Amino acid sequence: MKKIFNKIYDWLDHRVDIQNVIQFIGKKYVPIHSHSVWYYFGGVSLFLFIIQVITGILLLFYYKGSADYAFESIQFIMSKVSFGWLIRSVHTWAANLFILSVFIHMFSVFFARAYRKPRELTWVTGVLLFFLSLAFGFSGYLLPWNQLAFFATKVGTDIVGSVPIIGEPLKIFLRGGEDVTGATLSRFFGFHIALFPGLFTLLLLIHLALVQRQGMSEPVEVEKLKPAEKKTMPFFPNFLLRDLLLWLIVLNVLAVLAVFFPAELGEKADLLAPAPAEIKPEWYFLFMFETLKYIPAKTLFIDGEVLGILLFGIGGVLWLLVPFWDKKSSKGLRNRTITYIGIFAIIFIITLTIIGFIS
Amino acid sequence: MNRIFLMLLLFVSLSSINVTGQAAKNDQCFICHEAIGDKTAQLYPKDVHFKKGISCAGCHGGDSRLEDMEASMDRNKGFIGVPKGNKISDACINCHSNEKTMKGYNSNLPTDQFDKLTKSVHGKLSTTGAELIVQCITCHDIHQIRSANDPSSTVYSVNIPKTCSKCHNDAVFMRTYNPALPVDQYIKYRTSVHGMLNAKGDSKAADCKDCHGSHDIKSATDIRSKVYPVNLPKTCAKCHSDKKYMSGYKIPTDQYEKYSESVHGIALLQMNDPGAPACNDCHGNHGSSPPGVESISKVCGTCHALNAELFSNSVHKAAFDKHNYPECESCHGNHEIITATHELIGINEGSSCINCHKEKDDPGFQAADLMRTLIDSLDAQNEFAAKLIYEAEQKGMEVSEAKFLLRDVKQSRFEARTLVHSFDTTKFNEGVRRGLSIAAEVSGEAKGAVDEYYFRRFGLVVSFILISVLIVGLYFYIRKIET
Amino acid sequence: MSEFLSGVKNEKKELNTRRGFIKWLLGFGLTGFCASVFYPVVMYLKPPDQREIEVSSVSAGSLSDFEVESSKIIRFGNKPVLVIKTEDNDFRAFSAICTHLDCTVQYRNDFGVIWCACHNGKFDLNGRNISGPPPRPLDPYLVAIKDDEVIISKKD
Repeated sequence: MKKIFNKIYDWLDHRVDIQNVIQFIGKKYVPIHSHSVWYYFGGVSLFLFIIQVITGILLLFYYKGSADYAFESIQFIMSKVSFGWLIRSVHTWAANLFILSVFIHMFSVFFARAYRKPRELTWVTGVLLFFLSLAFGFSGYLLPWNQLAFFATKVGTDIVGSVPIIGEPLKIFLRGGEDVTGATLSRFFGFHIALFPGLFTLLLLIHLALVQRQGMSEPVEVEKLKPAEKKTMPFFPNFLLRDLLLWLIVLNVLAVLAVFFPAELGEKADLLAPAPAEIKPEWYFLFMFETLKYIPAKTLFIDGEVLGILLFGIGGVLWLLVPFWDKKSSKGLRNRTITYIGIFAIIFIITLTIIGFIS
Repeated sequence: MNRIFLMLLLFVSLSSINVTGQAAKNDQCFICHEAIGDKTAQLYPKDVHFKKGISCAGCHGGDSRLEDMEASMDRNKGFIGVPKGNKISDACINCHSNEKTMKGYNSNLPTDQFDKLTKSVHGKLSTTGAELIVQCITCHDIHQIRSANDPSSTVYSVNIPKTCSKCHNDAVFMRTYNPALPVDQYIKYRTSVHGMLNAKGDSKAADCKDCHGSHDIKSATDIRSKVYPVNLPKTCAKCHSDKKYMSGYKIPTDQYEKYSESVHGIALLQMNDPGAPACNDCHGNHGSSPPGVESISKVCGTCHALNAELFSNSVHKAAFDKHNYPECESCHGNHEIITATHELIGINEGSSCINCHKEKDDPGFQAADLMRTLIDSLDAQNEFAAKLIYEAEQKGMEVSEAKFLLRDVKQSRFEARTLVHSFDTTKFNEGVRRGLSIAAEVSGEAKGAVDEYYFRRFGLVVSFILISVLIVGLYFYIRKIET
Repeated sequence: MSEFLSGVKNEKKELNTRRGFIKWLLGFGLTGFCASVFYPVVMYLKPPDQREIEVSSVSAGSLSDFEVESSKIIRFGNKPVLVIKTEDNDFRAFSAICTHLDCTVQYRNDFGVIWCACHNGKFDLNGRNISGPPPRPLDPYLVAIKDDEVIISKKD
């Protein structure tokens, strides 16, 4: 057994120089400090993304992306295909956990100022990946073509439509016409399974390559310590094994969620039916949705909704460009503003999400 | 133009109102025309308008005070001669649509008759296209118009059927307007209880107008019609629920009350299902009369066809005929028919069977007992299956197939309930068994779905444990390599 | 646990865990993990008994299943559909739910009509309500013959 393994290793090594890679990995160390726990959320996000890819491909075997069949094909998956319910429920739950994990990963990086020089590009690609994750969630939500998804998409794209100048054409582009119809479903299906995964994979590779190339960032205080005082752990196998362990726990959690709270299907979308009383977007959009409700209808000649979208847009751009305006952190100085901004953002998001759930 | 003409006419007629009933005596038109033996003039003294002192000129125009023929019938003075077409009714509405004028004669008659007429089925244009189908005189006669309360009036209750049938009995005439409309209403009416009383001079018995209205008659298919199915019960109840009005007739007055709470009344009056039977669907309309005891199953059978057929072929048919029991009614009642429950059969109190089959060794008694047991078990199985499906659905399982099959169970239940009317235990048993076997299939499938639900939990526990073992193994392994 | 994850070493002396036990745990756990992941996936990939969703069209059986002037009730989605082969070998299909009170209708070849036993409602072979309480016609479905198969599909 070992002989065969060695032979294969030698054969490969002769051709692609595996030795080099293994040496590289072997030299890679993960800093150990009191905030090391947060390092794991990048890995968990990656794991959940892999699960999404696998379950997504599996669902594709039976799913049909057209208004006539979408709902029925999911019904088919849930009832006729063995373990179809499990695959779909895992896909749904993993999507939610993925976004949650990405949130945590992002904020931990933010508070640790890990975006500071020289990791600006890692941050930018990371934030872009985050935006893409939201887009994944939004496009995937419509695919079961049920009543709830239909109206949530309608409301969601309507909000896009109120963006000045580009909003209306963008809305029409997203919907594939004036209204949410089967054409929208086809588009969202295309986005969800082809465009977004392609972009995501590309950005993810850059993101991971940068992490590997530059190593893990250390918090400012740890960075200042003398090399002798720093503690590290080998990435391979120690850290990777811990990663794996955590992934298995996440897998167990996913299985429990999928069995106890399987994904629902609801009623098939009826384009002519009146909107159900309570349309709420997915929880990760709730804080934005809720904010738009609380902005007064008119502020300084600007429509409340437009103002909200502009604010969120500006916020998003600022967030994306944090490493470029937070010069202090890059110079190794303390920047309390960043901490305040981060805390404010978290409190804001949590509060409005809770209000959104209650109301 | 028309308006000027009307005003002129009004002026003329007003000027001809010579305050007292004596007027006619000074009415030169009448004096002259009567003298020359004009037949219309001879009819006029019996006319209600003559009695009110209205001159010929009231309708025909001209100046009734002048003796000179040329001058009195001068077209410049509004003389119109013999009116034709709509001009006829124009002459009537001239006063009858004018509240003030009518008050002047101390009349309490309504003034909206013509308005109603134009909106009625008779208010459409005739075949010539130049006038309304019906003018006032079509029903009220000419020159000898009487008050509707006058027994000699064409529109007096007893005479109305004849008046209406003048046209409605005329097949040749009626087909020019509505070829599909029957022309036998009059004949049918005369066979009805209403028609017979009417023929005896009873003005209280319903005539045409009591159901169809008078000036405002609408087509029976018009949703506003008094005889449109949904409105009909109220129309009949107007008299039949009036204790005082019906006091002379010795029939109950609670039919409407009972009907409106019956399965039919609820369907028609509350659920607005025009397919549900109104009074006329059982009693007939023009030939209305309570169905005879032996024909009840035929009448009910127009809708409940299978039940009636089964009943007619059953042992009960001959037995009921012999004892002169009203067929369906014996068990279901008539006006108060409520949704048939299983209480109706069996040997418990409230069952209809034990009214006749009283003895334990009576085969009818035993059959009743058996049938009740069977139908109850089908009900129970149906409910059980529905409950299981509900449970499976609540657990998030997909059971649309079983749900679809449940329809068949419900259908079998219907069929079994119908088969009761064969009063044949073998046939009934067959029907129930069919339902029971489908119900068992449904329950089996729903049960499978519920089991699947628990299987999922079991599978989860197994895989959870297996993965946890790996986690623990990994944990110890990491510890090992780090020490 | 967080201590473990962050890699901060526990100073306590490691318990003497036997090598074999860990190996067994890892081997057993890994096998179990593979089984609990791959079993559902393989079962999922195994073609289900019903190969495809049937919404747009449903087979009502082969031509030879139908005698002249006979009928059959088939399941179409969640609705029953009545398929009739008429006198002149023509196929018709209608929703089998009576438009009056939701009873299931049937084809009566002795009268040449579709009949609802509940209240004697009748529909002609074009689905039109011709007598009795039904307020509107039955919804029609399309029938196509492919090879030897009678296929029912929704009419748009």
